Amino acid sequence: MTDDALDAFLTASATALGLSIDPAWRAGVATNLRVLFTAAALLEDGPLGPHDEPAPVFRPEGLAR
Amino acid sequence: MSWPDATTIAANVAAGRTSALSVTQAALAAIDAGNPALNAFTAITTERALAAAAAIDAAIAAGKPVGPLAGVPFAVKNLFDIAGLVTRAGAALTATDPPAARDAALVRKLEAAGAVLVGALNMGEFAYDFTGENAHDGACHNPHDLARMSGGSSSGSAAAVAGGLVPIALCSDTNGSIRVPAALCGIFGLKPTYGRLSRAGSYPFVASLDHLGPVARSVADLALVYDAMQGTDADDPAQTPRPVEPVAGLLGRGAAGLRVAVAGGYFRAGAAPDCLAAVDAAARALGAVEIVEFPHVAQARASAYLITASEGSALHLQRLRAHAAGFDPDTRDRFLAGAMLPAAMVQHAQRMRRWFAARCAEIFQRFDVVLFPATPCPAPLIGQKTIMLGEQEVPLRANLGVYTQPLSFIGLPVALAPVFAPGRLPVGVQIAAAPWREDLVLRVAASLEAAGVAAARPPE
Repeated sequence: MTDDALDAFLTASATALGLSIDPAWRAGVATNLRVLFTAAALLEDGPLGPHDEPAPVFRPEGLAR
Repeated sequence: MSWPDATTIAANVAAGRTSALSVTQAALAAIDAGNPALNAFTAITTERALAAAAAIDAAIAAGKPVGPLAGVPFAVKNLFDIAGLVTRAGAALTATDPPAARDAALVRKLEAAGAVLVGALNMGEFAYDFTGENAHDGACHNPHDLARMSGGSSSGSAAAVAGGLVPIALCSDTNGSIRVPAALCGIFGLKPTYGRLSRAGSYPFVASLDHLGPVARSVADLALVYDAMQGTDADDPAQTPRPVEPVAGLLGRGAAGLRVAVAGGYFRAGAAPDCLAAVDAAARALGAVEIVEFPHVAQARASAYLITASEGSALHLQRLRAHAAGFDPDTRDRFLAGAMLPAAMVQHAQRMRRWFAARCAEIFQRFDVVLFPATPCPAPLIGQKTIMLGEQEVPLRANLGVYTQPLSFIGLPVALAPVFAPGRLPVGVQIAAAPWREDLVLRVAASLEAAGVAAARPPE
């Protein structure tokens, strides 16, 4: 993702979530967003197939405890 | 420096050789003397502690039974509820929250066993931290070098125990927050299996990754306090119902007969020589020669990072909207970015979690216990922003937990054994086993302690 694209995503996300990003924080938020997207990109190259289910499993009987 | 262990204190109090009151007064005096340099405590519960100690002494005088932790002073990370105090969770934004109405479940368990709560401990804001720095309460200092980080986020817990202020403390660990500070401060720690101990009455960070556990200066003390905290609690929806499985009586079995391996690949890449030397010393003492490779660890660690950012940020979304300026600047930017993470990326991470757990389960069919480094380096300087991971300079906050994060990601029980090389800062060895085998990780830690490889040491 280019810096401009990341910046546009940050602006749109902040609007959608109702977050005010002070200009002084913007570079720090962008840096952290970049780290997160890099981590997510790493997963794209991972071993998962369509039948690999997520770890959290809803068990209705658990609500009866 | 006073360096009493919990096991000895409890035995002496129960036998009437010393009083709980005198032990408590000594702990309060140690806190008064030592805390200004360490900045480990954020609240000292003097009145409550003295009353609890007097009650234990009265019970003993009346011939009533007292618990296995009779008269043992302890303190808790300030994300544990303490009745009458505001649960800070390391934040300024929580200061106006109402005081806790009831003690956290594990505080109640320890007091029921006779332990005496003496206060609440410094921590990284909302537990999103590996450094021990805190913009509101100030940095916690490493007792072995006051210019260096205690590690975090259970910073005060590790510094208070390593600095001789209390023999045991309670912590949380979402990605390494017991193990990182225990390693940097040179004490023992236990992150039990995910779902083992009740988290009721503790301030959450990432519900699907949060664990609670103890730090101490000996394996016997860890086992003593861990055994006292076991038991099913309906107030924690993530707890797995399990019978109480005491470990203290099993420590003497040592590591004989256990299949021990050393983690290779990812877990050997980038660590400083001191950290690898500690793992190798432990492996030699245990006769471990096999190297085991864990698959796709980088993706597992990345997944833990994504789940943490997303869940943690969602928890604080209202505060981020209304009071972002009130956050610690070092966590604020991370929380704001985490709130923006697309759901598909987080879901991918949750699928990776199951995949990685299944592969690790296969490895733990072949080995009972595996050894890992705890951190990539000994304690950095307070204020330091980057560390070296091999030849690469990387951001410190995101990378101190590079070896702890993949293990808590899948909830494995991990003991942290501290290793002091002559003239060097302490580092830690992680000892991990299959889920629910806290007995094995503590037996191996006890074996390393008995062999003189692992030990907590008073600061010089």
